[in-house]
Amino acid sequence: MASVKLTKVKKIYDNNVVAVHDFDLDIKDKEFVVFVGPSGCGKSTTLRMIAGLEEISEGTVEIDGVVVNDLQPKDRNIAMVFQNYALYPHMTVYDNIAFSLRLQKMPEDLIYEKVTNAAEVLGITEYLMRKPRALSGGQRQRVAIGRAMVRDSKVFLMDEPLSNLDAKLRNQMRAEIILLRQKLDTTFIYVTHDQTEAMTLADRIVIMKDGFIMQVGSPAECFDMPANLFVAEFIGAPKMNIVKTNLLKENGKYYVNPFGVKIEVDGEKGRELARRNVPAGEILLGVRPEHITLAPKGQGISTRLEVNEMMGSELHLHVFTEDETRLIVRVPTIGLSAEQRKGMVYGAPLNITFEGKVMHFFDPKTEKNLLCD
Amino acid sequence: MSKEQKEAQAVMKQHMGLKASQRLSNTIVYIILIIMSIIWLVPFVAIVLQSFRNETNAAGELVTWRVSYWLPKKWGIENYRSLFVDTSFPRWYLNTFIIALVQCVVQTIIVLCMAYTLSRFRFKSRGKLMRFMMILGLFPGMLTMLILYRVLSDLNMTGEHAVPGLILVYVASSGMGYYVSKGFFDTIPKALDEAARVDGATRFQVLYKIILPLAKPIVIYTILTAFMAPWGDFVFAAYIAHAKEAGMNVAVGLNSWLDKDHIVKYYTRFCAGGVMVAVPVSILFMCLQKYYVEGVTGGAVKG
Repeated sequence: MASVKLTKVKKIYDNNVVAVHDFDLDIKDKEFVVFVGPSGCGKSTTLRMIAGLEEISEGTVEIDGVVVNDLQPKDRNIAMVFQNYALYPHMTVYDNIAFSLRLQKMPEDLIYEKVTNAAEVLGITEYLMRKPRALSGGQRQRVAIGRAMVRDSKVFLMDEPLSNLDAKLRNQMRAEIILLRQKLDTTFIYVTHDQTEAMTLADRIVIMKDGFIMQVGSPAECFDMPANLFVAEFIGAPKMNIVKTNLLKENGKYYVNPFGVKIEVDGEKGRELARRNVPAGEILLGVRPEHITLAPKGQGISTRLEVNEMMGSELHLHVFTEDETRLIVRVPTIGLSAEQRKGMVYGAPLNITFEGKVMHFFDPKTEKNLLCD
Repeated sequence: MSKEQKEAQAVMKQHMGLKASQRLSNTIVYIILIIMSIIWLVPFVAIVLQSFRNETNAAGELVTWRVSYWLPKKWGIENYRSLFVDTSFPRWYLNTFIIALVQCVVQTIIVLCMAYTLSRFRFKSRGKLMRFMMILGLFPGMLTMLILYRVLSDLNMTGEHAVPGLILVYVASSGMGYYVSKGFFDTIPKALDEAARVDGATRFQVLYKIILPLAKPIVIYTILTAFMAPWGDFVFAAYIAHAKEAGMNVAVGLNSWLDKDHIVKYYTRFCAGGVMVAVPVSILFMCLQKYYVEGVTGGAVKG
């Protein structure tokens, strides 16, 4: 259990490529922080710098108030789960889990107790005498987690631990990690490229791009108030619809006119625009697919249906506006009549609309959210 | 006979023909292989047979020279007894064993450490160092003989003191043979090192507890080659021992019996010595054969 503090951490590789720029983050004790971003954004590099597997070019990393920049991984009191499990192939599951404890010269009976306890929690007791090659992917990942668990370390690092598993197993393991977190009650730093994992696991998400932090916040904050266009498009699936349009200001009220349809920005969002006195002009308007609703014929924005993806509880409709802009709409199937569902075929006309409160406004130049500081 | 039956018979005949031609080609191949193995085995069999010759001639002298027939008329181990009691062979044997053993231990340690370092650590001029060693390795070792002799002579490590000199020469160049091991180590995922380091292992513990057990075949291969090279070396050993019996290894010592003056007296004992040289190496190979083959292919293919 410990806090982790990164101050102006930078990673510059030998070929002068800067992988991480001035990374500042204060992770509280027992917090579950997820680094998320596309490939090459520097999230794994940052984690590896915390683990001591990667040299820190500039800045400091503190664990529990102690600067660990020059400490070897073994002296940092951390545990780590790797993407490819990294189990020792020549050892049995028992020996794999016991490895770190034996290095600590712990008495063998205590090791036995710890290993069997961990195995029981993870449901791998019957495989303890097997070698890793005789296990399935999910079982191997459990062993890797068990190996990290028994160490009672201050910080628990996980580098894309679920990305080698199939979708079903990934969901199952994700739930198990939430349970594990409750049991271990320690500080977690978790790296993933999967925004669903980030949203479901994290207390706080750190969204990264090209070595820069794009936003730090709770899953709800990142979803409801994305700091910039990148975060807006990265968080949420399918991704947010972005349309270039004009913000109009008339009699103290704000309007947008996507595709020539004037929609008032009402509610909280309108008040916030007024409070900040945002000038009228060209903006990027963002609306999440689930916030778009179907409108009666003749109202809202007229579109043409191109693709209808049946997801079970909802439909993902890919529609094209008159100027051939593609938008994605998520429609719950439960609210649709049989007739409506039947009519959703290729080329069918559909009218859509959305309310002011679900709109996001971005500056077309800086791509920053106009309502964020 | 119906048309179908005729067709079936034709297919069968064709099949039988194929079988017969395959059998013929197999037979030819086996005959060639048998002939080749006989040719290859003849010298060994001849040496073993001569070493057990225990017969006397008409004048009552023990036959110690080369005779025109292979099979001994009388068998015995007199040559072996005499080899160890009446000649300098035990000294040569011990010299060789000491050199090979020291070289085996030191070279194995150096090669494995070197391979691990070059495989796992990234440091300035690592690439240059590897290229430099590769270029150095392209020069025949013999080129250095003259200067090495001068250096060893100044250190009083030639002639009867050749054993430490030879150890020094062999050990000094041990690091150069790291290629195969490094190639093998490169195939072991680095994530295992990292996992072990996070688990609390030092770099040495990573090598000792993770890498070496996984690279067992290549460790065996390194031990075998490190032992074999000085065990059978002749050129360097002859040059540095400089015709002093006390400093000779088996190859040089036995070779000294092959000149005109000695061969008549020592031929059968020379053969017994040859057999004795082969014994430890054969035992080592038989014990480690399984790993050796695995090691050579494993390192070569993956590296």
